[in-house]
Amino acid sequence: MHKTLGLMALLVATPAAVLAHHGWGSYDASRTITVQGPIQSSSYGNPHATITVKAAEKVWTVTLAPVSRMQARGASAELVAVGKTVKAEGYASKAEPNEMRAERITVDGKTVEMR
Amino acid sequence: MLVLAEAPQLLIALEQSALGAAIRQSVWAYPVANVGHIVALTLFAGSVAIMDLQLLGAFAATPPAAIVRPARIMAMLGLGLMALTGFMLFAAEASHVAMNRVFQVKAGLITLGILNALLIAGPALSALGATGANMVVPARARAAAALSLAIWISVTACGRLIAYL
Repeated sequence: MHKTLGLMALLVATPAAVLAHHGWGSYDASRTITVQGPIQSSSYGNPHATITVKAAEKVWTVTLAPVSRMQARGASAELVAVGKTVKAEGYASKAEPNEMRAERITVDGKTVEMR
Repeated sequence: MLVLAEAPQLLIALEQSALGAAIRQSVWAYPVANVGHIVALTLFAGSVAIMDLQLLGAFAATPPAAIVRPARIMAMLGLGLMALTGFMLFAAEASHVAMNRVFQVKAGLITLGILNALLIAGPALSALGATGANMVVPARARAAAALSLAIWISVTACGRLIAYL
């Protein structure tokens, strides 16, 4: 039962992940949003690092950049570790109500471009 | 729109243009351009590889003219489609892509590859096509063919790596 549920979740999540990696259409690039708050969880992996951020109104899943780009620009795993306070500017997903794509993040006074 | 401020004004304007916005905001424009770019690449790289290999001595049993003409047409089609789809992908995030080091290397390699084809490999291929089989390809033309293969493989790799650096 759990296996089936897990598989179903994977099947449902995969297209969203693929779109997130290659698309513009799934994000509302006409409106910039800013999400600010403490990092609750951090996944430093490919194709994109992701963090969840507890903002004032809700918890956002924030899609960052591929790991190689994060490292090249000085955004180490430590910079986006759980507990750090982050400001993420970017675009909200049109498909997922709590997901946003960060164009740049600021942590510890350091701003890093994600694109 | 969050542009990269240190990019040239012209490219910031391109990214902020109605075209750039339309490509970003349409559900299908970007993925279609993305798929089209890769399909065009297979057309282009495949036909260029055939021409380069021919200069290097492959397909000796086939009359050169029978390969040169269709391969050339195919390469032109591929290149045109790549330029069109590439421009779409570029326009969507021009300020960011232009400042990406891998993209800059890729642009340089494309220029080099086209110059190599126009000045050395292309004319040598025309000579081979006109002369017929058993022509000895000059060493300079063979070197240009090998260089062409290396350049376009590198361009392909750079294209994929833009997203990762």
